[in-house]
Amino acid sequence: MAYYAEKNFFEDEQLIELVTSILSGNLTLEWYQAQGARVRARPADPRRGLTYEDCNLGPYGYDAIPELIRNRYSMAARGSVLVTKLPDLGYTVNRRSDVWSDNVVTLYEEAKSRRWAPAVDVPWTELAARADPVREAAMAQVCTFLEEVALVAMEMPSKWVFSINQEFLELKSFLCAQMIDEARHVEACRKRALASGQGLGRASASAEQALKELLSAETYPEASLGMNLLLGGFVVAMYRAIAALAGMRADRLLGTLAMQDVARSVAYGVGHMRYHLAHQPAKAVALGEYLDRTEHVVLGIAGSPEFLEPLVLLAAGSLDRERLAAGSRFARRWFRAALEEYFERAAAAGLGDRRERSRLPRLDS
Amino acid sequence: MPSPPPIRFPSRAFFEALGDAMRAERERFSRLGFFDTTFGVRISPDDGGEPAEFALRFEVFDCVRVMEGLAGVEADFVVEGPFGAWREMFDTIHALGAADTAQSLNTLTHFGERLRVRYDDPDGHDKLYRFAESIQEFLDLSARIDYVYPDGSRPPARRDDLRRSAP
Amino acid sequence: MSYLSTIDFTEDQAFVDRFQRTMRGDLELSWMDVPRERVACRPENARRGLTFRDLDVGAYGFTEMPELIRENRSFAPRGAAMPEGLPDLQAEVSRKSEVWAYNIEGYYEEAMTRQWNATTDIPWAELQSVDLPEDIGKAYAQLLTFLTEVEMIATDVPAKWMGRLNADFFEVKNFIATQAMDEARHAEIFRKRALSTGWGLMRASAQNEFNLKFLRDADSFAEASLALHLQAEGMVLTLFRFSEYISPTEGDKKLFRLVMQDEARHVGYGMQHLKWVLDHFPERREAIHHHLDEAENFVFGGGYATEVLEPFIILSGKGLKKENIAEGVRITNAFQLKQTDEYFERLAKCGLPERRERSRLWKMVEMRKQTMPA
Repeated sequence: MAYYAEKNFFEDEQLIELVTSILSGNLTLEWYQAQGARVRARPADPRRGLTYEDCNLGPYGYDAIPELIRNRYSMAARGSVLVTKLPDLGYTVNRRSDVWSDNVVTLYEEAKSRRWAPAVDVPWTELAARADPVREAAMAQVCTFLEEVALVAMEMPSKWVFSINQEFLELKSFLCAQMIDEARHVEACRKRALASGQGLGRASASAEQALKELLSAETYPEASLGMNLLLGGFVVAMYRAIAALAGMRADRLLGTLAMQDVARSVAYGVGHMRYHLAHQPAKAVALGEYLDRTEHVVLGIAGSPEFLEPLVLLAAGSLDRERLAAGSRFARRWFRAALEEYFERAAAAGLGDRRERSRLPRLDS
Repeated sequence: MPSPPPIRFPSRAFFEALGDAMRAERERFSRLGFFDTTFGVRISPDDGGEPAEFALRFEVFDCVRVMEGLAGVEADFVVEGPFGAWREMFDTIHALGAADTAQSLNTLTHFGERLRVRYDDPDGHDKLYRFAESIQEFLDLSARIDYVYPDGSRPPARRDDLRRSAP
Repeated sequence: MSYLSTIDFTEDQAFVDRFQRTMRGDLELSWMDVPRERVACRPENARRGLTFRDLDVGAYGFTEMPELIRENRSFAPRGAAMPEGLPDLQAEVSRKSEVWAYNIEGYYEEAMTRQWNATTDIPWAELQSVDLPEDIGKAYAQLLTFLTEVEMIATDVPAKWMGRLNADFFEVKNFIATQAMDEARHAEIFRKRALSTGWGLMRASAQNEFNLKFLRDADSFAEASLALHLQAEGMVLTLFRFSEYISPTEGDKKLFRLVMQDEARHVGYGMQHLKWVLDHFPERREAIHHHLDEAENFVFGGGYATEVLEPFIILSGKGLKKENIAEGVRITNAFQLKQTDEYFERLAKCGLPERRERSRLWKMVEMRKQTMPA
């Protein structure tokens, strides 16, 4: 502990006098005269309720957030009447275009609205009967892998939220939504693996090395680009494949519901990059270089044997040689499609056409 | 009084009937969450000819508009495919009460072999993923609709003895 | 520069070769043969679904988890086979007693099923139709301003620690994630309610901001949790109950009941965590008292926050007239004493009954009780 109060309040006569006076009925009412902007937020659409968009009013709104936050380093609510002597809480991310996205408010509201609880929203009792051991082994392995990925994806927003200025309330709230989304995926994937009859599979050294590289990005824009746009798109594709290859409704639901969550993070990732580059266009060079040296992590993760082999097996349905050949064709198409979607998103985000520049397409030969 | 003619698939009335069924299941769709997208459906006749096109607009928890044709519609994405593929999907839904994993929209569009997804903006495309379960359950509502195909045939009756997954 | 993985995957020929072999259907399948406990967890209670408690089996479970995590320093899911080459997460907390709490898995599952939505679960239309008189409206808007200001400290502080905890403590990390979301929701609901009153936000609370800074600054997760979950949120829980009692409308009562549910979970975790620490890590007792000495100093300094105390008096007395204020003072005084009583009661229940004797806050409260009219 290094921060102590400016005084020992138990010996502060002035404080004791003040409180005694108030509790004798002599209110100061200093705050009563605060001249804040008077607004009345109303739901634009009663079916939707009162959204943050409805509260985007005057000095309270997110439209009013300046590009650079100076002199606001406390948690005082945006738009509230400030007083002198507010402390500096130590925020280090104070530039709007480093974190903002025009879709973040919508995505936050959507995340809340589209929440689900793995314990009760996946029909676990349906897993009991048809336990094909090869299929279940593959499912257990892929879920072990996805649990690893989710653990890291949960830590990315948690790592940054402490450092981001509280003026970016809606963005910080979205980061909280990301955290709970990924907690949900840790939970759902672990439960699925341990319900399989196979136990957990093997952790993936290549995936974890790659994930650690993404997690340790030096700046928030790089962290978001890496986790949300680059990796996120592939994780959407992974859950999508699980749903498409599902042998039962429980797996289809698990894959689909998780996919929905990750797709929001991807949408934020694209929107964030777009906003960032619109306001800091010079950063495109550095971010392009970041991708040049970081894209290889996709291979370490999506190409890890702990993911790719069970994917082939799930698509194949058995260890029969011909079925495995069919399964590997599925895996090739899957990788190609996920890669193409990544390039589309990167271009849409303002990072240009990376197809020629990236080393990833070379793998498809 | 003569009974009204049955709803045809594909038709605007068919998708409007799905919208009505969605309203009746407000509780379920509210639980799934906000559902905000406009997407297109394009059904190409097996024998060639002009495709049937519809735009479905969803806001909050409802299908708020069904439009015929896609010209001038800003659709987030369009799901297109031959009539046969659509029929197979809807037949399965009707027989089982909801799509099985082989006939879910996600499976059918996965590599674009049966149904394809077209889009201009990846953001729009990603809405297919963001609202995937709501879209699926919307299509699953067709199990409750009485409709006929252009050749006058109907989808198969519900198979109560078969379930989509083990109990 | 950030951490770089030990190989560049696209340049490592062995890795690329293996990838391409897999893509041709030539699988090694070594992961299938790793020795492991083969389990098939099932819901003990079908209505509750499959819970973390149902997964508390063998090496996968939390009961058998050792006090010191010696083997896993990576992201490997607890109980998974760990191959060579896993990276070091640089976890700063690998001792179970630092973070664990009785029933942590229960709190998490409860949090996941009891998430509510500030946008849709409050009767905004009903609240719109109510015009609060100026004295009540401003007092209420000021209370809401304070609450929206402080809530997300309980996002920032636990989130700061999440990445520092060993991956084997994922139940705790998951709980932290639910708390982060709960607090974002609280900041949201109080902000939205303030902006819907017609008064907007009122004054920021400097004295409470200093307290927030103190909460951000803890040497250990245990100390952070003690100050945040037990002391701060414990007192806020009583405050929410009091706010429900003095709420100006039925819609506002519902609002406070909903936030109260979440807060009670956080306090529950804090209490069960302190119990666990004192049961398993008794040498921490003095450090805990030392931390509470300063935490309670900030609590007492909160008396300077007239923008919190005075709105309570106005709301509970229902106005600014002399008789309202007299009534408001009586009720608010009782609330503050109850708030402190409950705080010490919680500490006693957690295994710290001696806190009252050591606490200057307790002594000041006792003195105040003696000066109150019978």
